[in-house]
Amino acid sequence: MPEPELTPTKSATEGRSGVDSVVPGDIALSDAAGAEIYGEEKGAGHLQAPPGASKLVTLLWMLPGALWLLIFLVAPVIVVLVVSFFTGTITGFKEVFTTSNYSAIFSGSSTYLSTLGTVARNSAIVTAVCLVIGYPVAYFLAVKVKKTQYAFGLFLIALAPFFTSTLIRAEAWIPTMSINGAVNSILKDIGIIHHPLGILLFSNFAVIVALVQLLVLFMVTPIFFQLAALDRSAIEAARDLGASGFRVFMNVTLPLTRGGIMIGCVFVFVLSMGDFATYKLVGGGSVGSIGLNIQNLVSLLNYPQAAAQAAILVVAMAIGVVLLLRFAKLQEQV
Amino acid sequence: MSQQLRDRLSKVGLGVWFAAFLVFLYGPVLVMLVLSLQSERGGSGFPAVGVPSGYWYNYLTGPNSSAIRSAVGVSLVLALIVGVIGGALALSLIMAYRRMGRRGGTVLLYLVLLALMTPGILLGLGMILWWKLLGLSPSLYPAGLGVHVVWALPFGFLVMLSIFNRYDVAVEEAARDLGASVMQTFTRVTLPIIWGGVFGAALFAFTLSWNEFERTLLVSTTNTLPLEIYGELTSAALQPNLYALGVITTFGTILLVFLMLIAVALIVRRTARTQAAAFQTEEEAITVAEQARVAPALEGA
Repeated sequence: MPEPELTPTKSATEGRSGVDSVVPGDIALSDAAGAEIYGEEKGAGHLQAPPGASKLVTLLWMLPGALWLLIFLVAPVIVVLVVSFFTGTITGFKEVFTTSNYSAIFSGSSTYLSTLGTVARNSAIVTAVCLVIGYPVAYFLAVKVKKTQYAFGLFLIALAPFFTSTLIRAEAWIPTMSINGAVNSILKDIGIIHHPLGILLFSNFAVIVALVQLLVLFMVTPIFFQLAALDRSAIEAARDLGASGFRVFMNVTLPLTRGGIMIGCVFVFVLSMGDFATYKLVGGGSVGSIGLNIQNLVSLLNYPQAAAQAAILVVAMAIGVVLLLRFAKLQEQV
Repeated sequence: MSQQLRDRLSKVGLGVWFAAFLVFLYGPVLVMLVLSLQSERGGSGFPAVGVPSGYWYNYLTGPNSSAIRSAVGVSLVLALIVGVIGGALALSLIMAYRRMGRRGGTVLLYLVLLALMTPGILLGLGMILWWKLLGLSPSLYPAGLGVHVVWALPFGFLVMLSIFNRYDVAVEEAARDLGASVMQTFTRVTLPIIWGGVFGAALFAFTLSWNEFERTLLVSTTNTLPLEIYGELTSAALQPNLYALGVITTFGTILLVFLMLIAVALIVRRTARTQAAAFQTEEEAITVAEQARVAPALEGA
């Protein structure tokens, strides 16, 4: 490397010890410090770029993953949009342009729009409930549990179910909520009800409960990490100035975690819009969803119609996300 | 009320909230656990009959469960392959990401987020249509494998990102300065430090593939374990053997995830320590070099 040998390394040492004194035991450098010290281009915004970063090496590292994502993610999504404009035939589709798949959806006889409306409303409710349930959980772990090891340990216990099967998590609601399920027998045993509640399973209510349980971790996780990284001195300053705990929370903590809340909301909303397994198993056919529609249409070999429904789902999801971001004015925050 | 008392109360209140949250999260699978321990006469609901008994777990090894066992084999092989490919691709993508500028990095990040957010059923639909356009018929390999890796990749990428957030590039610079090639720097310096992260990414990929359902449903013509469970759930009357299977899968997954997270935590800590040690020696070296440079200058004066 043609750089002068000692100067950059020397300043690197100084910079490092400077950071060390602020964060004892943590050798990670902040972005700004890293870029300044090494005088190099920053990698992807926040990781330090390694030395000798030639374009060819980058390309070679990029190639396998990029190709894989292109073939198995980008292409399928684009194909859905393309096929939604193809003409359906008995055995599938032929490559003749038509808009009839969309006009069929928007015609009066189609139940698609009312299904989409129900799914969108359910997703909004699920997102709101996840926020109300998830925020105190994240707050408890990140702020109230003083020892970091305990906080992370408890967080992992809460996170673990995320990796288990969505299908089995949906299945588990059947013995829990059915007529002779756990909740009904407990309520009967303690005398709150005399006849089992039928609404607990195979209903819209059941779908919402199951989706909240399935997706709430997508809300807890980003908020937890943001709270954990929060600068405590801001909170202490507000306290020292005499603000009550509630006011500190509303005026300091909550605004500072807005980003995490938004990420959580977007994830929960989008994932509940596209859900299939929960609607199928917990809704039990009584509640329609776009995922169920698509599966039915595929089994009837009506691919263009399925593609059109999927395309509108994507557009509806995008609108929902934009509204959510607008609503929170995230752009002004970042 | 004093400040201290209020703090204490809010902590207790939130603690109760968290406990209730865990009940909500784990409750249903515990209900499955109870019902899976019934005797032969047990049904799909309460009251539970003859708890505890291992009957329905033994049932899984019997002749009535041969479809489930062959699905386990299919899922195991698939998940292992997804684990290897997912870990390797997460590694190569993060190596590219580190070298990319802000714009390219953002594009890659959005691509990874797209993989995370695309609804499974939509990706499955897109996959069969795309294969039809190409004149291929969809099947578990390679179409199913492809979407499984797409699902696993974002998580592996995030694991690698968390490792590289705590990684100091100075060790690679030192290696390069000492004359190591790009390849040598990678195999001798970078990889030994971060292999635990790659292993973690691979385990994540394995777990996610093992449990994947919605992406596989439309694509695969072979039953993976979740597809088999789905088939039995939607056709036959529910028997406790499916609860037993769900309990095994759930707790197996949780165990695996904990092992993986512990491995990653250890590797992060070790990385920090190794690098701290490296810096100490580096600083000593600089001091020596510094003196060597300053000394002649002093002599000259």
